Amino acid sequence: MTLAIAAAAAVLFGAGAYLLLQRSLVRVVTGIALISQCAIVTIIGSSLSQGRAPIDPQEGGPLSDPLPQALALTALVIGMATLALLLALVHRVVVTHGTAERDELRDVDRPGAGGDEAVRHEGDETE
Amino acid sequence: MQGWASCATAAVGFVVCLVAWQRGGGTVSLPWVPSLDLRLSFAFDGLAALYSLLATGVGVLVFAYGTRYLRQHLVEDDRPLAERRRFWPWMALFAAAMVGLATATDLVLVFVFFDLTAVCSYFLIGFDRERRAARTAALTALLVTIVPAVALLAGAVLLYSTYGTFSIPELVATVEPGTTTTVAGLLIAVAALAKSAQVPLHFWLPRAMEAPTPVSAYLHSAAMVAAGVLVLGRVHPLLARSEVVLTVLLVVGLTSVAVGGVLALGRDELKQVLAYSTISQYGYVVTLYGMVGAAAAGAAAFYVVVHAVAKSALFLSAGAVTTATGEDRLSRLGGLGRRMPVLAAATGVAAATLAALPLTGGFFSDELFFAAAKEHGPVLTVASVLAAALTFAYIGRYWIRLFLGPLATAPAALSPVLLVPVVVLALVAVAAGVVPSPITTLAEGAGAVSHAAPVTLSPAYHLDLRATNVMALAAWALGGLLLAAAGLRDRASRLVATAGDRLGPRRAYTASVIGLRRVSERLHDWETRDLRSSIAAVLVPAGALAAAAFAATPVARAFTVGPIAGADWLVLPLLVLVGVATLVAARTRERLGIVLALAAVGFGLAAVYALRAAPDVALVAVLVETMLTLVFLAALGRLPGTEPRREHGRRRGQRWRDPLIATVSGLGAFVVIWGYLSEPREAPSVAAEQIRLAPAAHGQDVVTVIVADFRGLDTLGEITVLLIAAIGVATLLGRGRLW
Repeated sequence: MTLAIAAAAAVLFGAGAYLLLQRSLVRVVTGIALISQCAIVTIIGSSLSQGRAPIDPQEGGPLSDPLPQALALTALVIGMATLALLLALVHRVVVTHGTAERDELRDVDRPGAGGDEAVRHEGDETE
Repeated sequence: MQGWASCATAAVGFVVCLVAWQRGGGTVSLPWVPSLDLRLSFAFDGLAALYSLLATGVGVLVFAYGTRYLRQHLVEDDRPLAERRRFWPWMALFAAAMVGLATATDLVLVFVFFDLTAVCSYFLIGFDRERRAARTAALTALLVTIVPAVALLAGAVLLYSTYGTFSIPELVATVEPGTTTTVAGLLIAVAALAKSAQVPLHFWLPRAMEAPTPVSAYLHSAAMVAAGVLVLGRVHPLLARSEVVLTVLLVVGLTSVAVGGVLALGRDELKQVLAYSTISQYGYVVTLYGMVGAAAAGAAAFYVVVHAVAKSALFLSAGAVTTATGEDRLSRLGGLGRRMPVLAAATGVAAATLAALPLTGGFFSDELFFAAAKEHGPVLTVASVLAAALTFAYIGRYWIRLFLGPLATAPAALSPVLLVPVVVLALVAVAAGVVPSPITTLAEGAGAVSHAAPVTLSPAYHLDLRATNVMALAAWALGGLLLAAAGLRDRASRLVATAGDRLGPRRAYTASVIGLRRVSERLHDWETRDLRSSIAAVLVPAGALAAAAFAATPVARAFTVGPIAGADWLVLPLLVLVGVATLVAARTRERLGIVLALAAVGFGLAAVYALRAAPDVALVAVLVETMLTLVFLAALGRLPGTEPRREHGRRRGQRWRDPLIATVSGLGAFVVIWGYLSEPREAPSVAAEQIRLAPAAHGQDVVTVIVADFRGLDTLGEITVLLIAAIGVATLLGRGRLW
């Protein structure tokens, strides 16, 4: 089971990494979603004991480890918040610049690449 | 106001140190970081007394001088007087750091104070921050003293790893001669020598003369530069256990005496002459530490006191001359003796102290120096006479050019505040030459710490032809000749200066700083080129670290397949489904397809959680996935059609790059996660405790209790994140307005 969970998490991570490298911002966001799923699967997989759900422990018998579950809950909720924010950002970018492609956006963000250079050389302290 | 406050603080410090010294000192040792064996250990012993009295005593006079000097300096540059706020706190902190360094007896503590002095000096040297030269000088001083200071820390850790303590007295008691001691001693010596501006790391000191004069007078006579020899004196019993270290000290010391002296002979700017003189004079002290023995240890301590008094007087007088005339070059000055007789006399006394003339403390310091050198064979005897002759010549030239001859630039009236400290220091120098016993007692105490055995010094005038007197006479005669042979002297000095500029360490320093900046700029440009390289900049080092961790840990039995029982047979196909959906999400270009694949991944995992006995997680996952799917659909509904079919602008070789990177990182993640999941601890201790306590927290569901109670603060943070995200989303959708 350990092997299976590790394999599933690895597929999620690999696909997430692939998507992160893409030029479309929508796919980048998808990649982040997959990587956070990978994290949650790993947390659940790291449960130290297996048994009944940790509800009403007084009934007896082995229980599943409750701590990773609590951590996974936090991760899930925060992951959702992050994704919603990212999607809203992408939406805003598309509304403002009319594209969600990084190559096209790069030309949009840098109106004066020369000015930057000048600032850096003015603060030159080395010799 | 601030200046006089600092001055008063230094005076109080001086009195406290004096009382502590008279009472015989004492030690304090408090735990600092027990897990690392670090203690706040201070001892007010002989060495601490000497340097604390020097730092506070010279501090009082320099600070008093500075109150007037700084005002004039700021007024001349049309700068607001409020800038004093950037000056006095650093000066006061510097004095405090110096006292701390003098009293610290823990190597890590020594390192901390050592760096604190460097940081203060950075801000003080760079006080005139509008001038580029001042900024560069400050940076050079900082880098050249702080980078070798890391060697001090490395040496301390090396000694700790062998002897299990950072405490210098304990190390002195236990350290054995050997390779470790030699290496650690060399590391510590490098840090100390760089701080004391010894060749080849001396070049920061002449540049640091960009600082206002009180800074030069203080940092470069009684404090910053003295910190190096202070550390040498403190750890000297350790250094003395290695012949290699002692030889290095001798060679570096004598080279510094020669290089500093010869360069001082030819300099034109007042403070430059004094800076090279400082290099040369601390070379004497380092040489003395290179010779082992009671006489040498005591002489080194005596030398430090006398030199600090004389050199701060000379710096203050140089500042007074520049303030009065507006000139800072010997070639444009001269004949000031008739117009400023008091200053000329006081400066003359200070110069005579350096030249070791009788009736000044300098005579005794050279007498002790000669006596120690004589014990160490003919080579050192000759070298010491030559060194004294060089000193006699350059300081003689300095004083004669400044105060004798025709008047070159007429001086304005000098404020007494600028004059009195020089006179006081000159009086101290004369007092030391008439009644040397207070300084002798001080130096004996300090020498006893450096030598780790009692030291007795008996400086006195003897009217006979004993060896030390003959050596002194020879030094004066040679120095007089050098003073007379102006042409030869100037040519030699210029030759050495040119050679130093061509081949010197300063060039290497500049090249390495520029090279480092270039590398850093290139890395920065590459890292911020686009999102892809930013991601790579995180992922590649993370992957490399994980790989290194795997290379360093044993792999045998580190991976287990794990049992499959009961509901796990249902989990397996679900995981396969999740995997397929993931690959679909990665491959598809249809936006709707991406959303559906993501939903399949999410709901599949929710089912897995349900089967793994985690109903709470499963329920929340279903809820979250439902919302996310809806949010995604809503967001994509507003975006144009499909994703572009092909990633354009690619070269052919790069087509396989992304899948390759993804495969490698997936495999890496697989190894890491599998290894991590394969090694569970035996007992779930925290969880068992939480399960036991859940009923007491009025809950049946342990997970709920953990979220709401045991880890309630985390949950509060999580809610805050949700709130911030919600505000962000609302603002973004509302075109920059929240409502």
